[in-house]
Amino acid sequence: MMNKRTKLQSFMLYALVIALVVFCIFPFLQILSTSLKHPIDWGNPSLIPKILHLDAYKELLGLMPPKDVDIPASIQRLLDNPALSEAKKQALITKFTSGGDVFSFGRYMLNTFVISLVTGVCATFLASLAAYAIARLRFPGQSVMANGVLFVYMVGGVLLMVPLYQMSVSVGLASSVAGTLFSLFLIYLIQTLPVAMYMLGNYFRTIPFSLEEAAMMDGCSRVEAFWRIIMPLSKPMLFTVFIYCFVIAWNEYLFASVFLKQYQDFHTLPLALQTLFTSKNAIWDRIMAASMLTLLPVIICFMLANRHLSGGLTEGGVKG
Amino acid sequence: MSSLLKKSEAKLGLKLVAPAVGIIALLVIYPIAFNVYLSFFDVQLNGQKTFVGFENYSNLLCNPRYYHSVGVSVVYLIGTVAGTTILGLAAAILMNQDFRLRNLARGLILLPYFAPVISVVFGWQFIFDPVNGIYNHMVVDVLGLTDTRDNLIGNPDSALFVVIVFDIWKHFPIAYLLFLAKLQSVPKDLYEAAAIDGQNAWGRFWHVTLPELRFVIATVVLLRVIWNLNRFEDVYLLAPNVETLPIFTYYQAFAGLVDQGIAAAISVIQLLVLVGLIWLYVRKVLKW
Repeated sequence: MMNKRTKLQSFMLYALVIALVVFCIFPFLQILSTSLKHPIDWGNPSLIPKILHLDAYKELLGLMPPKDVDIPASIQRLLDNPALSEAKKQALITKFTSGGDVFSFGRYMLNTFVISLVTGVCATFLASLAAYAIARLRFPGQSVMANGVLFVYMVGGVLLMVPLYQMSVSVGLASSVAGTLFSLFLIYLIQTLPVAMYMLGNYFRTIPFSLEEAAMMDGCSRVEAFWRIIMPLSKPMLFTVFIYCFVIAWNEYLFASVFLKQYQDFHTLPLALQTLFTSKNAIWDRIMAASMLTLLPVIICFMLANRHLSGGLTEGGVKG
Repeated sequence: MSSLLKKSEAKLGLKLVAPAVGIIALLVIYPIAFNVYLSFFDVQLNGQKTFVGFENYSNLLCNPRYYHSVGVSVVYLIGTVAGTTILGLAAAILMNQDFRLRNLARGLILLPYFAPVISVVFGWQFIFDPVNGIYNHMVVDVLGLTDTRDNLIGNPDSALFVVIVFDIWKHFPIAYLLFLAKLQSVPKDLYEAAAIDGQNAWGRFWHVTLPELRFVIATVVLLRVIWNLNRFEDVYLLAPNVETLPIFTYYQAFAGLVDQGIAAAISVIQLLVLVGLIWLYVRKVLKW
């Protein structure tokens, strides 16, 4: 550590670093590789596909021409039966041609994107108000709230799923699509608010109070000082917190599965992928391509927010 | 005048925290109480309730499946907590050295932590797939350790170990981040002094690094226990046959013969354990 490393030590160091990095990214490489492989190539242990096979991506993104589905002979005989009405024939044909084969990936991605975006924006906004109050203002109950927020967060979703579900049933929210989505949105808020408040509170404390004071001397109210001085100065952290909340909602499976199970059109990606995997259409290349496309936005978010996120999460050792 | 200012400040403060704290109170604090209430009822999915007293608890405590899932949870907790802590510490020490492309390596090893569970589980499932997976290829075809291709995830006993390795892979980065932050603040002279005292690398680790990190290690261990006690998605999505407590609760509440009252009773017991752990965290860790 103090003196220069010997050649052997250098070699050991690099070997260990490479081993750790490979351990971390190997599953990602596996996903990428399988998503690009042709089915005949799956058993090949090499990560490099023999032929580049993009059908899975094309299919998910709706770039494939619609396939002609063969109608089974028995059904064809039924269709040829003149006694059957035209409407019934049409119904039969659509039933067999559309089949269970459609996996509307775009739709699921849009669902996930919308709910994550709404969660991210609302959680960041509400958390910034609360964090500012807890960091800067004096009011009764302040210290209880400042400390309580984190403990609340340690109560995991599993412990709350039954009462939250029963609550939404008893107020009637679970019986409609809109109500279900609203319940889910509220649940995502409580899953993100505590850490968002904590991260923003820590950040606000690093901004010198004299800046607000100067603004208030110039005739700004407290709220204006918050809005015009603190918020613009906190942009990087606000963005980081937004990304954090967005990703939490994007990844969430438990509550999505509890609330959205019966509303297939509103499935989020984690739920849709799990359903796809357990359905008869489980085909590795398609699963992996879908995983890759679910992963990609998260990796992009992560690269955008990494610098502040690592620091924000470790100060005080909050999230696990 | 100043008391008037104070009052208006307090008013503004309460106004600003009201939405966030209100939502948290309504959707976390209230459900915890409601859960205790539900645990004394036979609860249907559609909200019908019949009072049954302590029957849920007595049924639960006579159910061997409950004890089995407690056992699985304990193995899971010991494995994952030890694994994430040790690997996190090792990674932090490694990444604290100087080497080329260090920032790239630091970024890459955080990936498992941020990636969506649902995507990475398929990668892991493919790795352990009996027909196509690299694991069976290595063990059977390359190393020749066994003759048969095993479905590790299909068998609940071996799946538990896959889940533990998966969880360590997924969560060691957060432990690593905490350790690295602390390591960077350990004064260099401590190492120099130890070196002058004739300590080799191992001695410096044992006499300087470990004592300096003592509190962070305790924090990491306790937080891992708290988080992994509630861990659902990582286990359920990778291997739904590994019945840790949260998975058992989920099956009781939403699958097959639904009995949400029992699920509520399990949650109440688990919450008591959790509160004990959180209390330990507050008293021992936050006070340090």
